[in-house]
Amino acid sequence: MRNSLSLRFWIVLALQIVLILAVPAQAFYTQMNGRSLVLQTAPVDPYSLFQGYSVTLGYDISNVQNLSKLPGWKDIEAKQKLERTPLNADAASSEFYVILEAPIGEGSRPPKPWKAVSVTGRRPDNLPANQIALRGSDRQGRIRYGLETYFIPEDQRDDINQQIRQVNSQVQGESSKPAFVVEAKVGADGNAVPMAIWLRDKRYQF
Amino acid sequence: MASDKFRQQLRQEVEQWRSQGLISAEQSQQLAERYEFAKLDGTARDRFVVVVLGIGSVLLGLGVITFVAANWQAIPRELKLLLLLTLFVGVNTTGFYFWNQPPLPDRQESGRQRLGQGLLLLGALILGANLALMGQMFHINGSSADLCIIWGLAVLGMAYGLRLTSLGVLAILLTGIGYWIGVSDWDWNNSPSDTVRWVMHYMPLIAGLSFIPLAYWCRSKWLFGLGAIVSLMALESTLSRFSEVASYFNFYVKWVMSFTLPPAILWSYDDRLWQRLSAPFASQSQPDLETLPASETQYFRPIAQGLSLLYLTVVTYSSSFHDAWEHHQDPTSRPAQMERLMTEGLPLLLDPNLLFFVGLMAVQWIYLARPRRTGRWGLSRIDGMMLGFLVVIAAMTFWHSTVAPINAIATFLSNVLLFLLAVAFMRDGLAEGQRRIFWSGLTLVALQILSRLLEYETSLLLKSLVFVLCGIGVIVIGLWFERYVRTLRTAPED
Repeated sequence: MRNSLSLRFWIVLALQIVLILAVPAQAFYTQMNGRSLVLQTAPVDPYSLFQGYSVTLGYDISNVQNLSKLPGWKDIEAKQKLERTPLNADAASSEFYVILEAPIGEGSRPPKPWKAVSVTGRRPDNLPANQIALRGSDRQGRIRYGLETYFIPEDQRDDINQQIRQVNSQVQGESSKPAFVVEAKVGADGNAVPMAIWLRDKRYQF
Repeated sequence: MASDKFRQQLRQEVEQWRSQGLISAEQSQQLAERYEFAKLDGTARDRFVVVVLGIGSVLLGLGVITFVAANWQAIPRELKLLLLLTLFVGVNTTGFYFWNQPPLPDRQESGRQRLGQGLLLLGALILGANLALMGQMFHINGSSADLCIIWGLAVLGMAYGLRLTSLGVLAILLTGIGYWIGVSDWDWNNSPSDTVRWVMHYMPLIAGLSFIPLAYWCRSKWLFGLGAIVSLMALESTLSRFSEVASYFNFYVKWVMSFTLPPAILWSYDDRLWQRLSAPFASQSQPDLETLPASETQYFRPIAQGLSLLYLTVVTYSSSFHDAWEHHQDPTSRPAQMERLMTEGLPLLLDPNLLFFVGLMAVQWIYLARPRRTGRWGLSRIDGMMLGFLVVIAAMTFWHSTVAPINAIATFLSNVLLFLLAVAFMRDGLAEGQRRIFWSGLTLVALQILSRLLEYETSLLLKSLVFVLCGIGVIVIGLWFERYVRTLRTAPED
């Protein structure tokens, strides 16, 4: 009786440890084997900027209006409309891939953001060496890439928050973008993890 | 075993009887052995220690989680991972080691065992902290719903493995909170992952089929009550999707089911049905269930019926307001509405959750009506009354929405039902001398009268008259009841 109880305890504990390690498994794999990519951020609602100890990031390509200018978006929208019935409106999200192209003159400080060139519904197989496919999901108009949260230590929170506000407030006119980009790693499957943030020419990695 | 309170009182009495010479020293010794007076002080202290350990563990766990959230930067990531896993395994193993000690002969539970249980609870909280920190270290956008549900199910595994009620309660609470966060879209910035969405879709089934057996496994009423609430609330949330098939007809189909399905399932819940089903698998030959007293076979039936009555009280009270029956006429014709339900709403009608619970309800009611001693099919009087009650609620909701609006009649009927329910409480309380049931019935009547008074335009004079009558009524009936209970208590001794 006691032996079987011990056995049950160790089995459950082992499963729990596997579960804990499973959480970061994919992100860890992507960090090790993924390709680097730099994304241009876009200002987000200042009220939701800081939640707890993380900064909420929004990107140029998080905006449906920007995405709709890219070739391929119309097909995805059409497919979504076809699949959406009142009952599965909030069911599984529809996924898509954004193809990004490396800027000319890589290696500058701060790095130049990559440029979105097209959108497709299926993962592209043979992309040129200077392009990467990033997997995104669209759930009722909320675009997510898995790159929206960046955790920041408590002692640097206020400083970084202040800088982000400043950088965002300096944006003037339609064409100028905030001097705030995010470095990420993208795996072959299109999944991405954020690696560092660049505010003007300063790099922060936690 | 009699309750602690009774044993405590009995011990004082026995001491008095012996000092007054009513019973001999030998008899008092026999009583002391029979009611285990020696263990009394221990149990009171044990309970206190369990509470202290429980609160302490929760605070410690919160401390660890906050520590994690504060971003612990100085140490490299690999070391952090190692430290956290060591802490997790260490606390759990130590907890298990202490908890698994054989109990001392004169106590039900030793101090070390309680310490072990506290540590296991702390281990379960550290599991959540570890899951959260892993996400944080790798900047993963996890939703809170994902975290709570996965954490809850992992703790559930340990509760099953060790047969521990405390872990079971934690698991149910975590899963319930996670489900609620996901359904209400509270964590709007991070929506749940597709896997957790799947779990949430089947939550009524998953909760029912994993929490209720755990309640039997641990013999815990708390687990049963909490498990039933989470499972049926998830079912309600599934039903609410009917209103998304845009038509008022379906909107009311949803109401008919959400008004009657949970109380019908809860009321007809009978532990013996499950014992009978599991009997072929049990190794020992079981005694005939019908001949055993109810207290030995029906562990959870009273809780299920109590929850059912509570649910019905809330439903009838809220539908006793005139505004609840505000009717919105659907412009489409009835056949068209029916057709829409059968086409657009078909996936919902065939939803496995719904099919299972409707089937369960049917089987349970048939089991209630099975031929017993008389050899004829039929419901007992009280079950029949409950069935009638549910049928009236379903019929008037259905008629109101599909055949013709009956605002006035439905409001009136709801008030009658509410009143009947309150009277039934009072009658039951009277018959069994149960204060709490009687007083809840009386409060319900008073609440109903006052609600109606404030709802409708009435003159101040009438308002004052009703207030006065209500006050006098409550006082007179309450005092009479208290006297009645006293005569009821003393009667058998005469």
